[in-house]
Amino acid sequence: MIEVVDLVKDYRAGDGSVVRAVDGISLHVAAGETVGLLGANGAGKTTTLRVLATLLKPTSGTARVADYDVVADPVGVRRNLGYVSATTGVPDRLTPREIFTSFGRLHGLDRDATTVRVEHLLDALDLASCADRPAGRLSSGQRQRISLGRALVHDPPALVLDEPTNALDVLGARDLLAMVGQLRAEGHAILISTHRLHEIEHRCDRFVIVHMGRIVATGTRDELVADGAGLEDAFFVAVSRRAL
Amino acid sequence: MTLRLLSLMQMPSLSGTLAVAGFQLRRLLTPPRLAMAALGAVFPAAVMLAAGRASRGRLDPDLAVVLLYVLIPEGVCLLGLLVTMSPVVSDELERGTWVHVTVRPAGRSSLLLGTFLASIVWTGVVAIVALGLALMVTRVWHPEAVPVAFSGLIILSCVGRAALFALPAVIMPKRALVTSVGVAIVVEYLAGVLPAVVNQATVSLRLRTLLVEWMGWRRNLPVEVQLLVDTQPAWIQVVAVFVVAIVMLTAALSILERRQFPPSEEV
Repeated sequence: MIEVVDLVKDYRAGDGSVVRAVDGISLHVAAGETVGLLGANGAGKTTTLRVLATLLKPTSGTARVADYDVVADPVGVRRNLGYVSATTGVPDRLTPREIFTSFGRLHGLDRDATTVRVEHLLDALDLASCADRPAGRLSSGQRQRISLGRALVHDPPALVLDEPTNALDVLGARDLLAMVGQLRAEGHAILISTHRLHEIEHRCDRFVIVHMGRIVATGTRDELVADGAGLEDAFFVAVSRRAL
Repeated sequence: MTLRLLSLMQMPSLSGTLAVAGFQLRRLLTPPRLAMAALGAVFPAAVMLAAGRASRGRLDPDLAVVLLYVLIPEGVCLLGLLVTMSPVVSDELERGTWVHVTVRPAGRSSLLLGTFLASIVWTGVVAIVALGLALMVTRVWHPEAVPVAFSGLIILSCVGRAALFALPAVIMPKRALVTSVGVAIVVEYLAGVLPAVVNQATVSLRLRTLLVEWMGWRRNLPVEVQLLVDTQPAWIQVVAVFVVAIVMLTAALSILERRQFPPSEEV
């Protein structure tokens, strides 16, 4: 469903030099699978996800979503992908219902289909009780659920979540990740990036650890973690091995 | 070349454009923005009132029309479009909404065209209200012709200038407001008054010519003023404004489709 092969992304810095943010990353996520993309700040996680979301063009390599290439057919990718970022970007003055409706229309859904979908999302994301309250008056957890709903408004088979729990407290993060688990059970392919490893340690099928733009380890939790240790220990081992 | 440009753009969708326009208009309904709009609507009437009093009620009706033109299709429209159209990209980057809009199938084109539409509606309404208030306190010739002619000038000013400001907004989003002011001064008010080929591409030439044409001033126009207006009939001026707007919007869309913003440039 989601496939990245030898992805390279360079940025041109202000002084004219070239900075390589992503250096040969390859990964894949099947339908009904959740893959955790782990790395410190600046490791290249967000850049990788933004290439997948067609927001950035790859310097080289390929990225595909639902068999659509991000360069050759970005519209196909956008129709099949939902994107959630750390900064929710939820407008304070609009209500959850208005936000979902606007984005449904932006996706080209007709009025009736949008109404049905919006009501479904409000129920599924536990937002029905605050559906007509301006988002600015809602909690950070509710705002992040709005962000998730906005990504799901066109019912995409693939989801990319970029540090979705960053602004959330423990309860908010747990609720959101539980919803992500439900989406996985429904058959969505989910790629989730975070540096809060404890939150997703037992929620992902596989992990890809990136450091300085490169993959330093990949596998299931059992493959990565030594006896008695945790995912965080495995992460430090992988990253320090690369640093040496 | 044109085909290649078109192939680079994602065709805009009507529902997406209307969704963004509604979304942007809702965003504009804040107390500070409404206060600014009210100020913009009242200001021309206040100036006309002051001018009437300064001339002890003997303000030349033709001069009053020229003053109205400077204040509304030029002043109010230009300022309204600057604050609503110029931040089309920078606002989204700062609010963190850029990624959520542009990850949609026709997100970029809908964002630009929806904001263009919202900017025209918002500014146009403010300018029409300003015109109504100004006409209530001003004595002009042809009181039945002025509202119609000025409504046309307001619409054309909004369409042409909003498209003009779309270009700096997508080329230099972080400095779009300053650049748009520069474009307004250099393109519209310097190049626009040059009696040369370059002024043919400006909206200001078309609006001035339409003012002269619709007010019936063409025959009695002083020679030095004739240099500042076009000789072609009114319908050509109207078509020219729409052609300029389409060219500017097409260029802005093709640039916007290719813009990439590293994560560090957001918020």
